[in-house]
Amino acid sequence: MASGKLPWRTRSALAAGRAASALSRATGRGEGMVIGGQVILRIAPEAIADLARNRVAALVSATNGKTSTTRLLASSLEQAGPVVSQPTGANLSTGIVVALSDADPTARAVLEVDELYLPQIMQQTAPQIILLGNLSRDQLDRMNEVAMIARRWRDMLAQHPDVHVVANADDPMIEFAAAEHAHVSWVAAGQAWASDSAVCAECGTLLRRDDADWSCPGCGRRRPPPNWSLLADPWRAVDPAGREYDLSQLGLPGRFNAANATMALAATAALGADPAVGLLRMQSVDSVSGRYGVFHVGALNIRLLLAKNPAGWTELLDIMPPAPTPVIITINSDYADGRDPSWLWDVPFEKLRGRTVVATGFRRRDLAVRLTQANIDHVVIDNPYAPDAPLPPGMRDLPQVDCAATYTAFQQLRTSGVPA
Amino acid sequence: MSADLTIAAIYADLLGTYGDNGNAATLLHRARLHGLSADVISIQPGDPVPSQADIYLLGGGEDTAQTAACSALRADGNIRTAAERGAAILAICAGYQLFGEYFPDSTGTRSPGLGLLDIRTDRLAQRAVGELAAAPVPAADSTEPPLFSERFTGYENHAGGTVRGPSVQPLGRVLAGVGNGDGTEGSVSGHIIGSYLHGPCLVRNPEIADQLLRWAVDRELPALEEQAVSELRAERFRTVLGH
Repeated sequence: MASGKLPWRTRSALAAGRAASALSRATGRGEGMVIGGQVILRIAPEAIADLARNRVAALVSATNGKTSTTRLLASSLEQAGPVVSQPTGANLSTGIVVALSDADPTARAVLEVDELYLPQIMQQTAPQIILLGNLSRDQLDRMNEVAMIARRWRDMLAQHPDVHVVANADDPMIEFAAAEHAHVSWVAAGQAWASDSAVCAECGTLLRRDDADWSCPGCGRRRPPPNWSLLADPWRAVDPAGREYDLSQLGLPGRFNAANATMALAATAALGADPAVGLLRMQSVDSVSGRYGVFHVGALNIRLLLAKNPAGWTELLDIMPPAPTPVIITINSDYADGRDPSWLWDVPFEKLRGRTVVATGFRRRDLAVRLTQANIDHVVIDNPYAPDAPLPPGMRDLPQVDCAATYTAFQQLRTSGVPA
Repeated sequence: MSADLTIAAIYADLLGTYGDNGNAATLLHRARLHGLSADVISIQPGDPVPSQADIYLLGGGEDTAQTAACSALRADGNIRTAAERGAAILAICAGYQLFGEYFPDSTGTRSPGLGLLDIRTDRLAQRAVGELAAAPVPAADSTEPPLFSERFTGYENHAGGTVRGPSVQPLGRVLAGVGNGDGTEGSVSGHIIGSYLHGPCLVRNPEIADQLLRWAVDRELPALEEQAVSELRAERFRTVLGH
């Protein structure tokens, strides 16, 4: 146990936190992560710094792909010994303190961190490297503005001049955050959603774009030459020496996971481990905290997909099976989903044309209006998993149905479903 | 044959945060329901703003994008021409603020607006984020029927409080949320409607969409109810106001 070396206050906080978690689990209120973390941090606000000391290898933050990238990097780094990470994608202070307290105290840590919490967690954990993946509109009720987060990240890096940064050169908001930093591995990881980086975060001029390349006619900022690149057909990563890493055997689907893997490979190299060995370990990751996992819910087998914002949805719609296979879409608007689902109008749901969509979740009516205007056949169902739910014909006979959901709906299905 | 009306969606990359492009989609959709053909032209920064469109739409945006959009619109000049000839205009959030005399830039300093609406915007003490509901108000001229009869619903996310000059009517009276910050929401002046309602605005308030269409075609259009929209509105009012 780590407890021997920890300050008394932190030790007693961990004991109290474990008791609270156990009580929460025993009374069936949940997995106990949040309540346990709250108890620990209330008693010992310095607990994260105490537990993190000298063993945090990497922090991972981004609007999209945090959890998957964290899992890929953690798997890769296990080549050099045990690695601790959050098991469920709980990426606020409470989830981080529990992840650090539950595990082998000698294990290195790879932690995903909420975009707003990153400066604070950086201060507390002093990681060797940080990965900055992408920034786009998400939960604007909480995040307010994309550019504001990029400015906070830039200020954060100014206070930590020695940390090594692995950053996406294709996202101008990420470049803005890391541009002044001395130690950066630039990764051409792509940017599927450019609408939140139309103007220069430095001077407000409209950026000039030419495929992946971008530059600012106002202040001269431009895409940095990448050290690592993601290439297509087939997906592969290329390192600074020109060596290629085949990403076609990844267990996780889609362009965005190839991008996540490229970031994780660059981070593996930056940490002094072997990317080729890391890639073999990454290939065995096929489900991340329930994402892409298949669950038995009611009478259906669903493949569970998580998407929270237009950038994420845009890429997720591409990995769904082609029309006319029906799909389920679940939209909630709790705090962790973002309170305002106006972003439904930024998602190209037109891609789903030719099939029937089951619209569900607390904001199923917002989705129904969106689908009506997009001319997509749909049914609005409060609970599609009920035995008598009026599902589209044939849906119950499918071996597997894709169900894309926002965060709280995803978590609810993941915990209530039985892995198939 | 050209369409009955042209809708110009202005600078979606700068002023399209949070689904505001749903406003153009809804206008097109409502126009079709009314038997009107419509074209939406999407104007990006650098493109000339058309002077002869029938309806102009501007959405919300971040502070730096708002300042950039305002400079581009001022340099282009055609939005002023359109406003002065009485074109229908819907301006949401950042787009609403930049129609006024001034608005706060990313540092909170007053930045000059287009001066097409007699409104002034300064920073609120606290950012207004949450559901916004408002009731329609009587017409300025009490012999006229009010423009709107249905309640308004949307979501607001802004740091500005807006004060109206004497020539500008509010769009509504706030039932829940902040709106302009003085108990009113939005502005109406001539054929310009400004509002803090995202949601998007026209998706959740088809009566406003129909009013813009009436101004554009200069004739009455019947009320048309869509069940999916009515259910959405009822659910929002029930959740936000309890009724």
